[in-house]
Amino acid sequence: MPDQTVDNPDESRAHRFVRPPLSRRSFLQRSAVAGLGAASLVAFLDACASSNINGATPSGSPGLQIATPTNPVLWPISADNPVIAAGQKPEQGGVLQLYNYADYIDPNAVKSFEKKYAAYNVKVQISTFNDTDEAMTKIRAGSVPYDMYWPSYDQISRLVNGKLVRPLQQSYIPNIKNVWPSFENPWYDQQWRYTVPYTVYTTGIGWRSDQVKQDIGGLSNPYASLWDPQYRGKTAVIDDWHTAMMLPLLKAGGTDMNVTDPAQIQEIGTQLTAMQAATKPRVTITMYNDISTGQLGLSQFWSGDMVNAVSYLPSGQSPKVLNYWFPPDGKGSVDNDLMVILAKGKCPVLAHLFIDHMLDTTTALGNFSYIGYQPPQNSINPSQLVSDGYLPANLASCTVLPEYFDVGFRLLEMSPSVTALWQQQWQKFKAGG
Amino acid sequence: MGWLVRWWNDPWRPPRIMRWVTILYLVWSLAPVLVAILFSFNNGKSRTTWQGFSFRWYWGDPNLSVWNDTSMHTALVHTLVLGVVSTVIAVPLGVLFALGIDRWHGRLPAGANFTMLLSFVIPEMLLAVALLFLLTSVTTPLQLGTSAQVVGLVTFQLSYPVIIVRARLLTIGKHYEEAAIDLGASQVGAIRRVLLPMLGPAMLASAVLVFADVIDDFVIVRYLSGGSDTEPVSVKIYNTARAAPTPALNALATLLLFSSIAAVVIGYLIYRWLTRGDATANKGIGGFAGEL
Amino acid sequence: MLKKAGRKSRGRRSLLWPALAIPGIVWLALLFILPMYVVLAIVFGQQDPIFRNAIPVWNPLQWNSAQFQYVFSNIFGANAIYGPAILRTIVFVLIASCLCLIVAYPVAYFTARLAGRWKGVLLIMLIAPFWISYMMRMLAWVNLLQNDGLINKGLSLGGLFNVQVDWLDGMPLTVILGLVYGYVPYMILPLFAGLDRIPQSSLEAARDLGAGRFSAFVRVTWRLSQPAVIASVLITCLPMLGDYYTNDMLSAQPSTSMVGNLINNTVLTPGQTGQAGAFVVLVLAAALLPMLWYVRSTRDEGARS
Repeated sequence: MPDQTVDNPDESRAHRFVRPPLSRRSFLQRSAVAGLGAASLVAFLDACASSNINGATPSGSPGLQIATPTNPVLWPISADNPVIAAGQKPEQGGVLQLYNYADYIDPNAVKSFEKKYAAYNVKVQISTFNDTDEAMTKIRAGSVPYDMYWPSYDQISRLVNGKLVRPLQQSYIPNIKNVWPSFENPWYDQQWRYTVPYTVYTTGIGWRSDQVKQDIGGLSNPYASLWDPQYRGKTAVIDDWHTAMMLPLLKAGGTDMNVTDPAQIQEIGTQLTAMQAATKPRVTITMYNDISTGQLGLSQFWSGDMVNAVSYLPSGQSPKVLNYWFPPDGKGSVDNDLMVILAKGKCPVLAHLFIDHMLDTTTALGNFSYIGYQPPQNSINPSQLVSDGYLPANLASCTVLPEYFDVGFRLLEMSPSVTALWQQQWQKFKAGG
Repeated sequence: MGWLVRWWNDPWRPPRIMRWVTILYLVWSLAPVLVAILFSFNNGKSRTTWQGFSFRWYWGDPNLSVWNDTSMHTALVHTLVLGVVSTVIAVPLGVLFALGIDRWHGRLPAGANFTMLLSFVIPEMLLAVALLFLLTSVTTPLQLGTSAQVVGLVTFQLSYPVIIVRARLLTIGKHYEEAAIDLGASQVGAIRRVLLPMLGPAMLASAVLVFADVIDDFVIVRYLSGGSDTEPVSVKIYNTARAAPTPALNALATLLLFSSIAAVVIGYLIYRWLTRGDATANKGIGGFAGEL
Repeated sequence: MLKKAGRKSRGRRSLLWPALAIPGIVWLALLFILPMYVVLAIVFGQQDPIFRNAIPVWNPLQWNSAQFQYVFSNIFGANAIYGPAILRTIVFVLIASCLCLIVAYPVAYFTARLAGRWKGVLLIMLIAPFWISYMMRMLAWVNLLQNDGLINKGLSLGGLFNVQVDWLDGMPLTVILGLVYGYVPYMILPLFAGLDRIPQSSLEAARDLGAGRFSAFVRVTWRLSQPAVIASVLITCLPMLGDYYTNDMLSAQPSTSMVGNLINNTVLTPGQTGQAGAFVVLVLAAALLPMLWYVRSTRDEGARS
């Protein structure tokens, strides 16, 4: 694997200053409406903030420190949440509780882990969540002592500040050498104190060529196809507010997926409403099944889900009907998911060993074949995924290249008040208004 | 046309229209379920195209069948555990409550009765959210998972035994009890030896009802579930139906249906046994259904 | 002597009955009344500034109505983002209840009055859906309504026509029929009980006095069954108000979202828990009158019989 470094600070800073080309006039027109809507929300937030003075207990530090590619963060390790001792034996008879998306880990990887530590009578139990907001709420409620969680880097600040994650004892994880070098010191977690990378993926557009006559990838603006009324009733967007809400930004040519200007956020909502009127999209995270059975023809897609969709096709159906588009120059949404160890888990040693197990080359490749999401492993050559049999030829576009991380757009953590503005628009969309 | 008018006006003509409506309704209400049961025996992976009969989705398939997929049989076992435990708590609690409320007069029991009736009609969603808030924002000995689910289900089901037993108490009246006391029984003895046996069929009916309703429950058990091992069949169906279900899901639902049929049959047999000396009771299946 | 003692124990205010009732009363107080108070404490409470999760405020004097106003202004205000979903809920529930009644009344009437010796068997079949999990019944329809499912195959009469209806793609019709299918059994049984109680003699008297088939029905049966009709409509309407899973199973699109979906979408999302609570309070307020009506009518009935 050549030593590409992922982050080029200058370039990312440059594209962050480019605003989506929304016309100034449309902003002026809409700012009045936005003002009305935002007024009640601002009043609400102010009320919350002011009333915190009398009696309530705000947790953690006064503000969220947010990591960005241009502002790498080294998270502190606090004395009351220390690194565990090195060289311990796995917990005898331990039940390792994993908390993950559905269909996002290979059952064989779990079985081989149980077998590896059979002498300690180890069991693994998987619980699933629908979206990471739900997951964070349940983790914070703390009623089930999950050991491991699969977040994206946009939650890392809250996870660390809330002392929900345990710092890693790196001596248990020698297999870190197998992952792309850039992930040994990522901007969201310098010195990988709390996280190891799990998968890399892009977010693009997937379609079935038997239902969609156009070559979506060949269009001048493939994102706009989700607003095209001729696909009404056949489309879907991903049921994750930040992921779905970047569609209007991408369609308008934006490069900052984390806008903070209330008027811009309002415009995202307006665009979603327009999409709702034009195509009535489903809001789901099971597009990998729905596109295979023909319930969907055109959808926002995570690259890994598109690969995964192949295995859900009815027998006899050729995978050639499935297509995926992501900007070949990498200027689209690129992300990676992480593995973390939760502070309240009962089996910290097993959790470390499980991470190491998942970074093992054989396990990682088996897992890739099962879930369709590419691990950032040095052992796989991204340019040969098709010839190595991981991807069918027509889905070569699902490959995630290390270079994408130099130019791609990131979904970053946002301040609580900005998050609230985004979620207000999302709720409006989900209410079918 | 004349015969049509005459037919329409004939007050004693057989009710053909009603009969057809009823028959169509029964077909409409039961056929989809029968189709779903049928496809649980499908030899192929499809839930819409018949590919031959097999028990593949029950135990044949080494990975995906109900027997071999841990998450599926865990769900089934958990559902039955919830059903039994909730029934065992809710029915005695409800029967005692009904007896107490029936004879104790005053503001407090009237208020309690009113609250109980509210818990009977409240939209389940509201109770589920309220209990979730209670468990996530107040420190209680209860944890999301089995204990929370049982507590939530008992709260929601408590009204069944209370309402059924109170209705029965009204028809029984106080004479038997008073006669027993006049013959020298203590109050507790009268309840234990006279009233409770007479309430037997009502208690049984409420137990069957509570059990069936608990294993059917979705809203409360979903919100109050903890890890995946506390997700019962209904939640499993909800989660999987939207992802990539195989006929194993139909098989799972079918097994659940058989367990509730078994509960009803056992309930009916016990009902027959309980009413064996009671000449007034309607011993037919209709009588049992009437208790329900 | 014994007799006297018995009378005496009955005469004094026995502690036995309160002792029997107390466990149930404590249970309801802790797990029915208290959770409702927690909802209020969260709705009128605060938010953690970082995690945005709800922090309940127990003292009513410190309550803050910001979240409630926020939801309220988004239903009725100029920027009514929840308005359509609320309206949709009302329309869906009304239509579904009417359809339920149209289906349920004749079936209950036939079973109660005309079925003769088939009555027992019919009753068993009417109760059958109770023993079948709601989710299984919805799953059955998901199977039938798929693009290559039996309904589309049936409609195309074996390939004669090319029927390609996307039933599961956000069709309000599918959701409403799903609600009817799901809830109609709950309506038939109370209706049956009500109709079964009407004495045959009053109907025969009406006929003997010259009432036609129709007027006998309207003047006697319909009028006497009205309490049962109202009770059965309420008992089906109320749970529909909180339903979100029928919509999730049969549509999964925002274009058919109901209030239940709004609650379900927000209840576990940081920063929106309080809003979910506010919706709960609103639905409870809307349901309270029907609930009280139902409670009163069942209590009256208890007193009468």
